[in-house]
This record gives sequence, C-alpha cells and structure tokens, in this order.
Amino acid sequence: MKRNAILFSILVILLLTAFFCDLFVGNAHISIRETWAALWGSSGDTITDEIVRNYRMPKALTSILAGASLSVAGLLMQTLFRNPLAGPDVLGVSAGAGLGVALLTMLNGSFLYPIISTLGSMAQVIAAIAGAALTLLLILFVSSRINDSITILVLGMIFGYVASAAVTILQSFADPDSLKVFVTWTFGSTSNVTWNKMPIMAGIVIIGILSSFFLQKNLNSLLLGEHYASTVGLNIKSIRIVLITITALVTGTITAFAGPIAFVGVVIPHFARALFGTVNHRIVIPATLLSGGILMIICDIISQVPISNRTLPINAVTALFGAPMIIWIVLKRKKL
Amino acid sequence: MKRLRIKNNAITLFFGIFVFLIIGCTGKQKSSNSSSESQPHSFTAIKYAKGFRIEHFDGYTRLTILNPWNNWTPYQTYNLYKTNGDKLPSEGTNLKIPLESIVVNTFAYFDFLEQLGQIDKITGITDGFRVYNPNILRRIAKDSIADLGDPFKMNLEKTLALKPNAILTSAYAQRDQYSERLVQAGIPVIYNLEWMENSPLARAEWIKMIAVFFDKEADADRIFDQIEKRYLKVKEKVGGVEKKYSVMAGDNFQGTWYVPGGRSFNACLFRDANLNYYYEDDHNSGSIGLDIETILTQFGKADYWFGCTADSYEELNEKDPKYKLLKSVKDKHVFNNKNRVTPSGGNDFFESAIANPDLILSDFIKAVYPALLPQYHFTYIKPLKTDNAL
Repeated sequence: MKRNAILFSILVILLLTAFFCDLFVGNAHISIRETWAALWGSSGDTITDEIVRNYRMPKALTSILAGASLSVAGLLMQTLFRNPLAGPDVLGVSAGAGLGVALLTMLNGSFLYPIISTLGSMAQVIAAIAGAALTLLLILFVSSRINDSITILVLGMIFGYVASAAVTILQSFADPDSLKVFVTWTFGSTSNVTWNKMPIMAGIVIIGILSSFFLQKNLNSLLLGEHYASTVGLNIKSIRIVLITITALVTGTITAFAGPIAFVGVVIPHFARALFGTVNHRIVIPATLLSGGILMIICDIISQVPISNRTLPINAVTALFGAPMIIWIVLKRKKL
Repeated sequence: MKRLRIKNNAITLFFGIFVFLIIGCTGKQKSSNSSSESQPHSFTAIKYAKGFRIEHFDGYTRLTILNPWNNWTPYQTYNLYKTNGDKLPSEGTNLKIPLESIVVNTFAYFDFLEQLGQIDKITGITDGFRVYNPNILRRIAKDSIADLGDPFKMNLEKTLALKPNAILTSAYAQRDQYSERLVQAGIPVIYNLEWMENSPLARAEWIKMIAVFFDKEADADRIFDQIEKRYLKVKEKVGGVEKKYSVMAGDNFQGTWYVPGGRSFNACLFRDANLNYYYEDDHNSGSIGLDIETILTQFGKADYWFGCTADSYEELNEKDPKYKLLKSVKDKHVFNNKNRVTPSGGNDFFESAIANPDLILSDFIKAVYPALLPQYHFTYIKPLKTDNAL
C-alpha cells in the first residue's frame, strides 16, 4: 500500500511538473518571469498574455485530457475484450470520425458551403463527431444482437477498415488543397481546442473518465472471464454496452477536437499495470489516467521543438518518442 | 434489471449532455448585416477580377473580398483608414493603413509586393525553403523575415510573437482554426482568393487588392495597366495564326493525372496562346483527376505537353515507358516549369508568374510558334533534356 502511495505521489508530481513545463516552453521567446506574470495577471503585453493564456494553457489541458482519457478508454477495451492489443480505436470510432472530416473537406466547395461556412472551424468537429456517433450506433446495434465479445471486436475493426477505405476513395477524388487540409487533420493537434470549445470536450471526456471509476468492480470481474463474471451476477451484455459507449464517446470526442492520436491508448494501460504490478482496476484506472496524461504532455513539449521551422505532428511524436520509453521499461522489467 | 436500467439511463444522460453541448456551441452565430450605410463617392475600376471590390467613402476605403463558393456574396470586409478611425461602420475589420508589417502565407504575392516596393514590410512567411524570390531569401538569411513553417499548419506562437499589422493568407472553403485564432488575438487576417479566378489577367489584377493596404492604389492601377497592355500585345501576335496545335497539361501524381479544368487559369492561357485543349469546353475551374488510360486516349495525339514534372526524356522513360506512346513525347515537345528553381525546391513559376501573365503566355507561344517571338527566351518553362534513351 505504501509503495502505491509513493508511486501515485510521484506520478502526480510528474504530471504537474510536465504541465507547467508545457506552459513555459514554446516557439515564442517568452521568459519564465513573463510567462508567470501572464498566468497570474498580466505580463504587460497583450500578445504574450494571449499566447500563454489562450494558446499554451488550453493546449496543455487538451494534452492531459487526451492522454488520460484515451489511455483509460484503451484500458476498458483491453479488459472487455481480454486482448492486449485492443485500444480506443478498435471499435472503428476514430476511423468513423476521419470519414466525417474527409466528407466535410471534400464537400466544402459544394451546395453545402453556406451551412458549413457559418460554423467556422466547429464544422470539422461536428463532422468528426457525426462520423464517430454513426460508428458508435452501428457498434451498439451489433452489440445488442451478438453476445460474443470477440465477434464485436472483429466487427468493430471491420467498420474501421470500411471507413478508412471510404476515406481513401474520397482522397483519390480530392484536389491537392483539400487533400492537404485533410492530411493536416490526421496529424493530430492539441492546439485546436480554444477556450470556447474546451467545455464541450472536457465535459464529455471527464464524464467518461469519472464513469469508468464506478465500474471498477465490474471490470475486475471481467478479468476472470465473461463466463465467471456472469456467474457472480454481472449482466455481461449491459456492461459491454456501457463500456463501448464510454470508449466511443471519449475516443470520438478527442478525435473530433484533436485529430486521431494513436499509440497512447494501447500502451499506457500495459505500462500502468507493469508499474504497479497489479491488474486491479481500483489501482490501474488512476495509474493509467495519470501516466497517459504525463506521456501526452511530454509528447506535446517535444512536438513544439521546431525542426527546420516545422513542428512535428503530435500523432507521430506519441509513437516515435513514446515507444522507446516503453521499450526501455519493458527491457528493464523483462515483461510488461 | 434495476442495474441495467440505471446504466441505460446513464447512456441516455451521456447522449443528452453530448447533444446539448454541441447545440449550445453551434447555436451562436455572428449577427451582422446592420446597414448603416452611406454611399461611396468612388469605386476602383476592376476589369477582370470577380473576387473583390474597392469603394471609397469619406475618411476610409472599403475593400470587400467576395465569396466564390457562395454566389460572390461578401466573404470579408475591410474598412481601411489613414488618420481617423472614429467614423467607421460597425461591420467588417477596421485597419489603419498603410500597414507597417505583414505576414504573407501565400507565395503568389511576393512579386506584387516587390513591384509595389513593399517587400520590406514582410516580417514573416511560410515554407521558407520553397521560396525563389532572391530578395525574400536574403531577408530570411538576415533574420528580418521569420519562417513560420507549414502554410497549412502555421506556427501560431511565432506568428503572434511577430505582432504583424496583418496576415495575408489563402482562404479555402473551410475556415481554419489558425485564422480564427489570429483574429481572436487581434491580428487582422486578409483573405486571399486570387487563386479562384480563372484568367491570368484576373489573377494579376489582385495587385490592386493588396495595394490598398499600403495606400498604393495609384501605383497598382498603373502597374496593372502595363501588365494588361503587355499581355494583350503578346496575345495579339497569335491572333492571326491558324489554330492547329493541341496541348496536354499536368502530370501523373501517384497514379492520378491532374489536368486543368476548362475554366481554369491554365486553360485560359492555352486559349490565349491559340492552342486546342481537350477540356476547353469543360466547366471545371479546378483540376480534373484522370488515369493513364484516359490520358492516352484523350491526349495521346496532343502536339505539346506543358507542366511535365520530369527533367529529361530519360527520366520520363524511367518513370513509365508508357509515356513514349504520347505524340508530344515522340516529337520531343515536352516542357516542364522548372526554368527558375532553387536547389531546395523554390520555383518562380509558383511565385512571380501570377504577377507576370504576359511572360507565361510568351513562354507557351515561344514553345509552339518560336518564329513569332524570335528575341524572347523562356522565363518559367524549359524543354526537357534530350538524350539517347528514346
């Protein structure tokens, strides 16, 4: 117990440190003192205040929320499907969101333009949410008919492939500029979320994360197998629907606001289990939450480093810099 | 059962909150169109361009960028004043002119600004490694122009830190979050839609649009009149020639061949150069994606090919031996756009050609009817290198 308390304290300290580092690091040369002043009052310069408060702050918060929630969503999927490779995107929700954005990008110059243009950059978010929601409805429909988790997993992946195929077809028809707009979206970006978008994203994601805390016992029963879980009184079908809904809402929302973010959701749950040496969800859920937030915010800091004046796409940074960290830990412990 | 019902309620609750939040956010829209209008005392004459208008009122000039995706209704309005900003209308973006600094996120304007003598006002650009303009390159090297990265994913922090008076950026059908953020930070965004115009003179006329921001309207009018004169003079040269040659354009990009639509800038140049083009009656103003089989059937017999991406016939043959089936390749009538390039990928064809449509038209005429322009040397285009491969 004591060891866990120490580990949790370390994670919390790391998360807070990383969060503050993210606020102090950026491409504009703003001193630590100016950043501090901008955070608590005013630095005396409106642009500096703007950068720190309205750019870096929401970006750092988005990183934490995205990392934490995708990791927890990944954990839920791994437990539900008892598959170590499952992640938040196995249900095809991210691909569905991608299809929504691809459709929007390609239809933009069309008759739909007047509607799309009044929405501004929210149009992309709405298109992604619509795509994700549609996939979720399909998955829920399937889950209500089929009583086998593996079949649902396979169907989810098939939905994902179909959506990706549709995106590829749309891309082949697109003009080069629309293509670039879409490809830029697939890079992922934690800086898309402005303060006026934050309540929607944070609202949905926090509800998702909190509800997973109430499911600890059910998740622990699932670890012993669905058959066992049902003998101890768990309604497998309903718990499955709840888990799928939470995962899809969280993944769909994050994908809509920050673009597709890979890797974190699959790997962090393994890391958390390995770090605490347990599979008990009472420990693993908060551990996953904190580790996901930390990894994502570190990746966000790395992605700010300009390489020949360009910043790296966050979606690539998570895998490129996250993987060596995780591999190092695995090699040290000889297992995950 | 009770537990299930609670969970079902939870799902309904999630959906409820989700829908509520989305409606809450999308519901707020700008209410505009309050008309407290006075009449303009004069207009700037625009002869070719459809995408903007300039009106002069007492104390300010109003520039309106028009929306090509929505029946040329206003896309954005700018009220430009020199001394007193008190009497401006409530609609639109108010800006004090002349601008002292500008970030330019589109290559097409470098030459406009150079011709207007305003290149020293540029403080930031994107994709610096792809720049051709030697003046801009020198300024990047001296750090008086900052490179802000990917044009579709501008480095926002660096842009804001430059504190430019305004940012000039290409508008796309989709309003991007970058522009929204810049506006939110109080930096006006000048939307450029010159690329949606479908004739070379219309695109060149956008020099008048950027000139108003630097109080250089008279200069722009004079420069454009000269551009127009030069262009029409070159066009006149092929006026009496029999139209017998046909042309192919574009190149293969990962299996898809993008050729210009019939209402595009390139198709207009082909018409003005007295060339037959397969898609000349087409109504597309962008590009059309075709496969190699269609290209062979529609353009197999075309006499000339412009806009090839290869440097030599050997390279063309290595890429795909099927190219040899094209008449233009057999006749060695293939040209690329790489006459003025830098080693890192800068190409003047994408920069100054917009401001010099007479030169690009002369290039095409020189390629097909060399006798008409005996003294002229290619500016932007270049014949492919010949060798023994074919």
